[in-house]
Amino acid sequence: MLDRASLDRAIQERHFERILAANGPALSRLAASYTNTLSDRDDLLQEIAVAIWQALPRFRGECSERTFAFRIAHNRGITHLTRARARAGGSIEDEEIEVHDPAPGPESDLAQRQRADRLRQAVHRLPVAYRQVIMLTLEGLGYGEISEVLGISESNVGVRLNRARQLLRDLLENRK
Amino acid sequence: MTTDVELDVWREQWQADTAVPLNLRRNVERQSRLMKIGLVSDTIVTIVMGGGTTALALRSPGTDFVLVAIATWLFLAAAWAFVLTANRGLWTPSAIDTAAFVNLSVRRCRSVLATLWFAAGLFLCEVGFGLGWAYNHAIKGHETLLSWLLFSSLCIDVAWIFTVAFFGAIVWYQRKKRAELASLLELRREMAGPTTEAQEVQSSAWNGLFGLRAGRLRGSKKKRPI
Repeated sequence: MLDRASLDRAIQERHFERILAANGPALSRLAASYTNTLSDRDDLLQEIAVAIWQALPRFRGECSERTFAFRIAHNRGITHLTRARARAGGSIEDEEIEVHDPAPGPESDLAQRQRADRLRQAVHRLPVAYRQVIMLTLEGLGYGEISEVLGISESNVGVRLNRARQLLRDLLENRK
Repeated sequence: MTTDVELDVWREQWQADTAVPLNLRRNVERQSRLMKIGLVSDTIVTIVMGGGTTALALRSPGTDFVLVAIATWLFLAAAWAFVLTANRGLWTPSAIDTAAFVNLSVRRCRSVLATLWFAAGLFLCEVGFGLGWAYNHAIKGHETLLSWLLFSSLCIDVAWIFTVAFFGAIVWYQRKKRAELASLLELRREMAGPTTEAQEVQSSAWNGLFGLRAGRLRGSKKKRPI
């Protein structure tokens, strides 16, 4: 018969796997947007998974699992950027990230895939504060969830999102 | 273009990165279920055939049925060794993206084709052994081996019919799987162009994430040198 600790652990494992399965692709995209190389993305994904696992016992359902996972992932992403910039000697705000090859999309249409690639590259070039907001918006989070994930007010989310969209539009139109 | 439409278009493009087409995902899930059913069936066959011949060998005097039991267990062991090897790494996709699902489907298809060859070979060995054993114990009286093989008993005739049907089914299924493999490879080429290696490297990101099961998480995280 399972004792209490084994049961808790089994529940936690199932919970963990469910969160990863539900948010896997989004976490993968998120990690890619904080890193320059596939190797770094691998590392960041692992760090995110570890952090989610470690934080799971403290998860009380006060926010959605998605918000919970994204908040951890963004914190890890920022830590990753901070470390990377510390090594390079700069701040995370002026981070210039070289975009690695994106994953192939399901579209067989080359033009559509190229547009998606351009969007990813443009998002990658945004300053971190705007990148975070636009990324979460593109993942389908609302203002409330974004403010929970990033720890900023909803009005601030709106301001950042407007600015991010403007910058993104400029980047996509001008291909700077 | 209104701003909402703009955002929707961007969202669609953004999320297209790793969205797995529904039919592909369902196909892979169906294959996974069939693999599980196959494993359960193999276990049942092992218990019934292995257990049955062993019980027969224990109850019967002489070494004839011991030989049958030994041969049965050897065939079962060979089948299990092949199945476990062929199915290794084919239970789940290495990532939750289209490329990983297509890669898994391709590998499963190749595994099935290899399994068909193995099954045909194993079946021939089993038939050879079975007929040899039966001929050894047959009531003599047939002039030639050929007449014994064709006219000695209804059981042997049924076995021949079953053999023909079995190989017919194998040929049909092999053609079907080859066609499926060709279309999957075509799809992979369309998706990736010359970047198959890049996909596999990218998929390894998810290997890392999903590979981090509870047991490994408990200790320290795996960190590769940059």
